[in-house]
Amino acid sequence: MKQLLFVLILLGVSVGAFSQGKYISKNAYISFYSSTPMEDILGESNEAVTILNGETGEIAFQALMTTFHFKRALMEEHFNENYMESTKFPKAKFTGKIEGFTKEMLKNPAVEVKVTGTLSIHGVDKTIALPIKLGMENGKLIGTTKFKVTPEDYGITIPSLVRDKIAKQMEVTVKAEYQPYKS
Amino acid sequence: MKTKYIIGICLLVIITGAGIGLKMFFKPHADISKINTDFKVEASNLIDEFQKNENTATTKYSEKVLEISGKLVNKNKLENGTEVLVLEDEMQGISCQLDSTWAKSNSTDIQKLETGQPIKMKGICKGYLMEIKVSPAIVIK
Repeated sequence: MKQLLFVLILLGVSVGAFSQGKYISKNAYISFYSSTPMEDILGESNEAVTILNGETGEIAFQALMTTFHFKRALMEEHFNENYMESTKFPKAKFTGKIEGFTKEMLKNPAVEVKVTGTLSIHGVDKTIALPIKLGMENGKLIGTTKFKVTPEDYGITIPSLVRDKIAKQMEVTVKAEYQPYKS
Repeated sequence: MKTKYIIGICLLVIITGAGIGLKMFFKPHADISKINTDFKVEASNLIDEFQKNENTATTKYSEKVLEISGKLVNKNKLENGTEVLVLEDEMQGISCQLDSTWAKSNSTDIQKLETGQPIKMKGICKGYLMEIKVSPAIVIK
């Protein structure tokens, strides 16, 4: 009887370990790049977290603004204090759903899928559609995307004095290596 | 005579101004080993604080220098070479990304670290995303 109980507990634990086909990346890469003839600015973070629901095709992505790292300490300061107001809005978030999702997408070689959802930056929510390349690459489930963001759309004002140094649109790049979620 | 004096002062102001400006512009990133610690904490207590009230803990610790004592549970290397040490819990613990310059000059010590051992880290707390993010960080014990 005791043994049966033990087996049952063990079974319960192992089922729980793969909590319903969720995939996670705790060290996803995200960067934004602004290029002008005056100056190129690159901010990078390796600390974004994303969860992909393997049953429904829903994706959640979050990044802490303060984890973005720049070449110069001053850029980091301006980014957090003047533009993103990181103490007031510490996170950028995206939640969306893969269009026409099938579970095979997670096993096949990477293809481009469309993900529609809400992007929240600087406390402003916008509905967007992102092209995401998702699938297996060298035995790993990888998701990558590249898209443009206009700071003014998210209530970020750039003073006219430095407007020439900052691109009208930022290029955002994301790369996540998903692993089965163990909880 | 008077104009010379005025020009001299103007030049001095411009040079100091430019000097300060350039110094600010080229200000280096903080050297973790040298900056003062704001809080000394136990890893488990820090996790409790964030799990109980994320906002309060974020206000208290974000961008502050912490010294954290805890148990090393995971060690991995990211694609770009960054070493990550995870404390207390693999999924909901404290994730410390090591300072790349420090990691380079202390690579043998990092290799010797074993999961399960007690460890003391120093680094800048960035906030909470399922786990507590600390970067850049160094190992102090």
